Amino acid sequence: MNYFSGRQVLSVRRKNKREKNVLIKVTSVSFSGLTTIKIDVEINIADKGLPSFDIVGLPNKAVAESRERVRTALVNSNLKFPLRRITVNLAPGDVPKYGAFYDLPIAVGILSQVVGFEIPENSIFFVFFSLDGSLRHTKGALLAALFARENNLSNFFVPRLSANEASVVKGINVYPVDNLNQMINCFESGEEIKPSVYRLNKPASAAAVDFDMCEVLGQEQAKRALEIAAAGGHNLLMIGSPGSGKTMLARALPGIMPLLNDEESLEVTRIYSSAGNIPPGGSLISTRPFRAPHHIISQAGLVGGGTHPQPGEISLAHRGILFLDEFNEFPRAVIEALRQPIEDGELTISRSLERVTYPSRFILIAAANPCPCGFLNDDGKECICTKREILRYRKKLSGPILDRIDLHVDVPVVDVKKLSRSFYSQNNKENSVSIRKRITSARKIQQKRFSEESIHTNSEMKNRLIKKYVNLKPDSEALLMNGAESLQLSARSYLKVIKLARTIADLEQSEDIEEMHIAEALQFRPGIIE
Amino acid sequence: MKKIDIESCEYPELLKQIKDPPPVLYFKGEWNPDLFINALSVVGSRRMTSYGEIMTEEFISAVCRAGITVVSGFMYGIDAHTHQTAVDNGGYTIAVMPCGIERVHPEYQSELHSSIINSGGLIVSEYPGDSPPALWTYPRRNRIITGLSPTLLVIEAGLKSGALITAGIAKRYGKKIFAVPGPLTSSVSLGTSSLIKEGASIVTGTEDLLSEYGIKNSDNITTPSNIKLNKIQKSIMDLLHREPLAVDEITRHLNKSISETGAELTILCINRSIIFRDGRYYPSGEKIKGRKTF
Repeated sequence: MNYFSGRQVLSVRRKNKREKNVLIKVTSVSFSGLTTIKIDVEINIADKGLPSFDIVGLPNKAVAESRERVRTALVNSNLKFPLRRITVNLAPGDVPKYGAFYDLPIAVGILSQVVGFEIPENSIFFVFFSLDGSLRHTKGALLAALFARENNLSNFFVPRLSANEASVVKGINVYPVDNLNQMINCFESGEEIKPSVYRLNKPASAAAVDFDMCEVLGQEQAKRALEIAAAGGHNLLMIGSPGSGKTMLARALPGIMPLLNDEESLEVTRIYSSAGNIPPGGSLISTRPFRAPHHIISQAGLVGGGTHPQPGEISLAHRGILFLDEFNEFPRAVIEALRQPIEDGELTISRSLERVTYPSRFILIAAANPCPCGFLNDDGKECICTKREILRYRKKLSGPILDRIDLHVDVPVVDVKKLSRSFYSQNNKENSVSIRKRITSARKIQQKRFSEESIHTNSEMKNRLIKKYVNLKPDSEALLMNGAESLQLSARSYLKVIKLARTIADLEQSEDIEEMHIAEALQFRPGIIE
Repeated sequence: MKKIDIESCEYPELLKQIKDPPPVLYFKGEWNPDLFINALSVVGSRRMTSYGEIMTEEFISAVCRAGITVVSGFMYGIDAHTHQTAVDNGGYTIAVMPCGIERVHPEYQSELHSSIINSGGLIVSEYPGDSPPALWTYPRRNRIITGLSPTLLVIEAGLKSGALITAGIAKRYGKKIFAVPGPLTSSVSLGTSSLIKEGASIVTGTEDLLSEYGIKNSDNITTPSNIKLNKIQKSIMDLLHREPLAVDEITRHLNKSISETGAELTILCINRSIIFRDGRYYPSGEKIKGRKTF
């Protein structure tokens, strides 16, 4: 029975006038990490064959589902979906395609034939639909816009919610689109879509910072360590009992970090864009990222990974702060994976199909308890750990990672009553804004110093650069030699002290490294808390 | 397995005199009867505080330099630190084990174990093989510790502690007991305080210990006077001589910037005028060594 009805339909179709085979090309993009690949979306509407709708060219599940979304969205937008054999090829065919970026180019291609309009030249489309035909906020808008400018694709169609992010890029027209109908009306009857104009969202600076430095009572040395860390980009380890204020100190750190400059801001926004971490209507990120993952994080979550590699927390903390609270509760393998990114400032994730490099130049702020019970050296509570337990606990702190941490600081519990009763002087109550001023000028000095190098801060100096840029006065060198001997410094700690002293001198706008700078730097030597 | 019989003429004389001397002593290292001529037994809390640590270093190093052998129990805390200080100061030390002679307990102190032997000291036990320690072997071991010397020094002890049990044994044996006083806020000073209350001798300086052995303190006392201190450094030293303080507290007392205070503290550390221990700065012990008994 079906056989007959089928034949009948066929014969009806045969009576229709013969339609021509059409091939339409629309430009779109695909992402591999932070790099963008041009994708030609080729749509063939055949004159022969049974009605079908296929997508080829290594689409993943999300791309393949485009078929249903496009068909439904067209119908729901009161547009006709052609009952013909439609083949979509995403070229180049050997690059795997991820993400639902191709709804719009496919729909535009099909509709150009059905409705009959010319796709404007040098256009680039990308994004996916809701079933009602409206365009949804997408990740990667900034990356696609950058790509469009590089390739002279001057008309970039994006969802309205992602338009602000894309219009960061000057020199191309970013057209914010609400839904499919609006776009078709634009092409068919010339209804104008106004290009989006970039507007920087005001950073919610007051709200973004949890604490001001002057709210942290006592902890003078820890605060000073944070200041040095922020100024020179040094990594910091805080050891202290529960409730001593390690977390509060770390959360106050963003408030003294200098703002991102334009170049850094773009770097950070690119990573966030590729990870889809920019909110609808978002703009360039101007405050330094502060990431504080919980210690149950997986390795891929921390350093990035996946078959289609995604940036991890270290990359999301690029040019900002990575705060690892309860540092020795993190799985060993996860922490060890930090070694190279800390050293190189970037991490390449290699997979059989993709090789992706994400930048990861961050300040590591680690916090840990001194012992399993947490109350070693605490005044209030007695530690109940045996020496052996403490040793085992300390061993969890990986040596190679500790080696890469310049500043080690003790965060004792502060007796607030004692503080308010006496001593507490005004000059200890410096607020974050004035500390930030000092840090910003110290960073400027470093910028000038390293203008010919590829690094930004003192902490990134390797041996060669230390020799080139750091001159110790004879007095300072003598003190350092003395200190190295009597405090039993390792060769690596020795270099750390020099780098720290350089930053301390920069904070005081001092050209030379004086004795006092070396002496203060020695305060933060590793192993002082043994 | 090396051992020495109670019948042997080399068996320590003092140990023979206690009520139930071990019939056989197993040992590691070179048996040297001279080790037992001048010996001091030391016991203390496993939960050593930084104060206890510093006191151990002060007293034990002086005692070792005077050629006295220190006897202790190899447990972590004061015991282990006593052995370690003796080894570091080139002194002789005897560790009495609560377990079989072949066993190192606690195991992670095996480095200390071998350095005691290498420095001419002894590891001693009344148990052969590698039998594990049991609750009852500790007091048995303690009687040997007290038995090996005429004097017992208690550095830090809790109210219910092995150190106090040992002191009780020493009392029964009629040994001289010394206790190091400590702050009453610390739970591991309560035991030593109660000993003093009950009539143990209080130690306020190394002289107290050395005169017991008829030795005059011949230590060259290096006074910090040969190091010139600036004004800030002087006031830091004044503060620290009163009580140990953390860097933040020192800053508040001095009302100076943290960078200045920190730098001065480093310089004082390098001069060895002060030492840093567990988050606090202490004046280095020259004062105690030189202190006259009062």
